[in-house]
Amino acid sequence: MSRIGVFVCHCGLNIAKTVRVSELAQFAATLPDVVVAKDYKFMCSTPGQEMIANDIKEHRLDRVIVTACSPLMHEQTFRKVLSASGLNQYLLTIVNIREQVSWVTHDIDEGTAKSKALLNGAVNRARLLAPLTSRVIDVNPDVMVVGGGIAGIQAALELANTGRKVYLVEKNSTIGGHMAQFDKTFPTLDCSACILTPKMDSVMQNKNITLMTSCEVSEVKGYVGNFDITVKQKARYVDHDKCNACLACTEKCPGKGVSEWDEGLVKRKAIYIPFPQAVPQKPIIDRDACTYFIKGKCRLCEKVCEQKAIDFEQQDTFSTMKVGAVIVATGYDLMDTKPLVQYGYGKYPGVYNALEVERLFNSAGPTGGKVTMRDGKEPQAIAILHCIGSRDKNNYEHCSRVCCMYSLKFAHLFKEKTSADVYQFYIDMRAAGKGYEEFYNRIIEEDVKFIRGKGARVAESADEPGRLIVEAEDTITGKFIKLPVDMVVLSPAMKPRADSKDLARLFNLSTDKYGFFMERHPKLAPLSTMSEGIFIAGVCQSPKDIPDTVAQANGAAAEALTIVVKDKMELEATTAMVNPASCCGCQNCVRVCPYGAPFFKEDKGVSEINEALCKGCGLCASVCPSSAIIARHFTNEQVLAEMEGLMEF
Amino acid sequence: MATSFKQIEENLKTEAGKLLDAGKVSMVLAYGRGYDEKHPLPYVARSLADVDGMVFNEYCTANLARYLVRYPRGTKIGIAAKAADSRAVIQLIQEDKVKRDDLVILGIPVYGMKNAKTDEAIDAKTTCGLYNPVIYDVLLGEEVHGQPVLSPYEVLEKVEAMGQDERFAFWKKELDRCIRCYACRKACPMCYCDPCFIDQNKPKWGEKSPETGGNLMYHLTRFHHLAGRCIDCGECSRACPVDIPLYLFHKKVAKECEEMFGQAAGMSIDEKPALINFRVEDSDKILE
Ligand SMILES: Cc1cc2nc3c(=O)[nH]c(=O)nc-3n(C[C@H](O)[C@H](O)[C@H](O)COP(=O)(O)OP(=O)(O)OC[C@H]3O[C@@H](n4cnc5c(N)ncnc54)[C@H](O)[C@@H]3O)c2cc1C
Ligand code: SF4
Ligand code: SF4
Ligand code: SF4
Ligand code: SF4
Ligand code: SF4
Repeated sequence: MSRIGVFVCHCGLNIAKTVRVSELAQFAATLPDVVVAKDYKFMCSTPGQEMIANDIKEHRLDRVIVTACSPLMHEQTFRKVLSASGLNQYLLTIVNIREQVSWVTHDIDEGTAKSKALLNGAVNRARLLAPLTSRVIDVNPDVMVVGGGIAGIQAALELANTGRKVYLVEKNSTIGGHMAQFDKTFPTLDCSACILTPKMDSVMQNKNITLMTSCEVSEVKGYVGNFDITVKQKARYVDHDKCNACLACTEKCPGKGVSEWDEGLVKRKAIYIPFPQAVPQKPIIDRDACTYFIKGKCRLCEKVCEQKAIDFEQQDTFSTMKVGAVIVATGYDLMDTKPLVQYGYGKYPGVYNALEVERLFNSAGPTGGKVTMRDGKEPQAIAILHCIGSRDKNNYEHCSRVCCMYSLKFAHLFKEKTSADVYQFYIDMRAAGKGYEEFYNRIIEEDVKFIRGKGARVAESADEPGRLIVEAEDTITGKFIKLPVDMVVLSPAMKPRADSKDLARLFNLSTDKYGFFMERHPKLAPLSTMSEGIFIAGVCQSPKDIPDTVAQANGAAAEALTIVVKDKMELEATTAMVNPASCCGCQNCVRVCPYGAPFFKEDKGVSEINEALCKGCGLCASVCPSSAIIARHFTNEQVLAEMEGLMEF
Repeated sequence: MATSFKQIEENLKTEAGKLLDAGKVSMVLAYGRGYDEKHPLPYVARSLADVDGMVFNEYCTANLARYLVRYPRGTKIGIAAKAADSRAVIQLIQEDKVKRDDLVILGIPVYGMKNAKTDEAIDAKTTCGLYNPVIYDVLLGEEVHGQPVLSPYEVLEKVEAMGQDERFAFWKKELDRCIRCYACRKACPMCYCDPCFIDQNKPKWGEKSPETGGNLMYHLTRFHHLAGRCIDCGECSRACPVDIPLYLFHKKVAKECEEMFGQAAGMSIDEKPALINFRVEDSDKILE
């Protein structure tokens, strides 16, 4: 025999307009074991909460049912009422008659009937509920940041400044990310290096940050508050503890590799630092370009290195860090435009992609900041083609958000550095950030030509060898144009890192169809993920500019801090467990669990669930053929009883 | 020409003998004499001396993969596996019930197997219709080629043509005859749960005595549990004492599964079981 109290909320008129709330309360009073049933205008208000608390005492209630909004909104509120009244918080049941009833119907009869059915089921289930105890776990105070672009740098610095120890894991040999490749940044046109490199240096200097370059995460174990993350340190063939950054080696090296930093426009040495302000300032050897690794002879670097830092025998090493929270900030790649053969990238030397052009502007770039093309000539006419692969159902449906703006930036820089005519081929001009419309107006005044129409094709000019023809439809005049130019700049879609799905698998993140990491809620939890304790920031979540990236990085740092600032944390008690006597060892649970909680015990031939990892989603219980899994708070008996209650209607 | 049953039996004895003698396996699962020629029994040879008791003839239909899960993990087992049986072995490897390295598969190409009850030839109507094992370490006869290759799903035409009501009536009538002996479950290599859901009392998923509700609950759930896993050996239907054509339902589910996920059960040890392996590119048809 239970003593159940039912509390029906009107939610103002939100619920009351499509559910007869007092009728629902009267109906509740007729159900077995229900000793008190009331309706009230706002159950979540202080008087509403007090009413429940009083009734718990007065009627010695041992189960409470609140029929109101989604448990996502107020489950915590009412749980606290129960706890404060001396009842175990898991003896609360929420029946969602707002999102699931009143908001999905206009018919008050239907709404009332459905509410009754749901309530009837809930009463059946409530009887079978058992008190549960939340688990309290220790929290590791350190944080790991994966990806050392501006997002990762910013997040790491924020956290380190609060006194947290931060591991910053970067897969390249330097931090900085894409921002380090730029010359100027829109809309202010301030020098990218001037604002970025001080931050890169702070990272190096900050005692709380352990900078791990040429590193990649290889295994993630554990759970919020207690991650064990194994990081692979890729062999650099230079002992950075011994190296004093004199860079004598890089001068003597005969090896030739392709400079990734300069987007392949020039060669670099086999032992190299990517760019002069790289952090750390210490070189690595590119095995594939090194004469010694290829031919077995050379070792010039070793000879000139006074520190004896060169180590050809170096191997990849692995180390495991313990952290309480993780921020993933791995950024983006640009789409490969070669497959879009209509634009001739890779075929015509005059066609460039946006990042290559960034390097042409950069004084540390391949041309020393002069805009000269692959043939050494300065262009006389330049076409910038927006939305290449973006806003394109055949490639990436999304708007990459920054291309309009950097295309304007390019136009400005072309105007500044050359006497060329500059044409923008755009679909819509999207200038929605702070100072962006103003920037757009400024560029219009700089005599840049705007053609509203997507560049359709780039072809070689038949009349003037070496020149290119851009074809497009000007959608304002409705005319088809063929514009002869010397240089074409493609603004390609920003896409997730090629390895983003692997990383998602490691960290148990969800991705959208392209591989951008999914946030827990697009509006209310944009930096959290479905994996507790793992946060995302920057373009790895979706295309955005530097200001938004930095804002997200700060936000993610704050979110991570809310976890690691406590030394203990409470976890939901609603986890699943395996009854080993019924388990047939099929491992369905192991395969379906999105959180990697179940594991198979070879010796016993049965599965077990790591409670700390389990989020109580119940997937395992539903695929277990021999119903060996007990999902606490949603046991088979509880769910079946609820269904029976529902089906009585 | 297909190798004769007698020859296969000889080869089986020789190969099993070699394995046991060399200590490569601790047992060989094969067939032995039953009360008559038509009813050979599953047989476990644990030493060279046991090998003589082995037989192989056209009535050796039992799917021996059924017995693999009985022995402790890590036991080295030799197993005689006909075409469909080998798919069961693969499916069990996919489900990590056995490890490939622990098995020596003695593959048997089959042609001319017979249903002991009816003496009819067994073909794609009641099984997957393959002639040769999909996986084996040693082949005990020449591969069978040149025989008609039939779709295992052709037999579904009649049930697929039925309307919903007619189909329900058909299955209700068939399943109403079930006497709940659970021979189907016992014969099935994929039904290895202990306890089976239907044997449980808390909660009790369905009535245990033979009546419509409980019978539907048992069989429909069993069909469902075998979705993407049934390898179409047809043994459940042959084991059934009241001849319920269970294979029709299993084939229908297998067909849908194959169409939806592009993979048939037990065809490759590198695949994962279709229904518990989420791939982003999977068809959403299953939600319809
Ligand atoms: C051509 C172009 C011009 C632009 N110009 C401007 C501008 O003028 N103003 C502006 O506001 N925005 C501009 N942007 C946008 C800007 O680039 C981004 O907003 C910003 O760089 C995002 O930073 P991030 O840290 O998220 O990513 P990234 O800069 O991509 O940094 C990610 C970092 O993570 C590392 N990483 C990746 N994978 C892993 C891994 N698995 N493990 C460890 N580390 C990993 C990478 O090596 C990199 O260092 C421009 C973009 C483009 C394409
Ligand atoms: S799904 Fe159930 S039976 Fe299978 S391994 Fe997991 S707990 Fe055991
Ligand atoms: S309930 Fe969900 S989270 Fe918990 S073990 Fe099962 S599948 Fe994993
Ligand atoms: S073998 Fe036949 S009678 Fe026995 S349980 Fe299966 S279907 Fe029913
Ligand atoms: S369900 Fe029947 S046909 Fe399918 S594997 Fe089991 S016994 Fe064979
Ligand atoms: S019917 Fe389902 S639960 Fe029972 S043995 Fe077969 S697969 Fe397992």
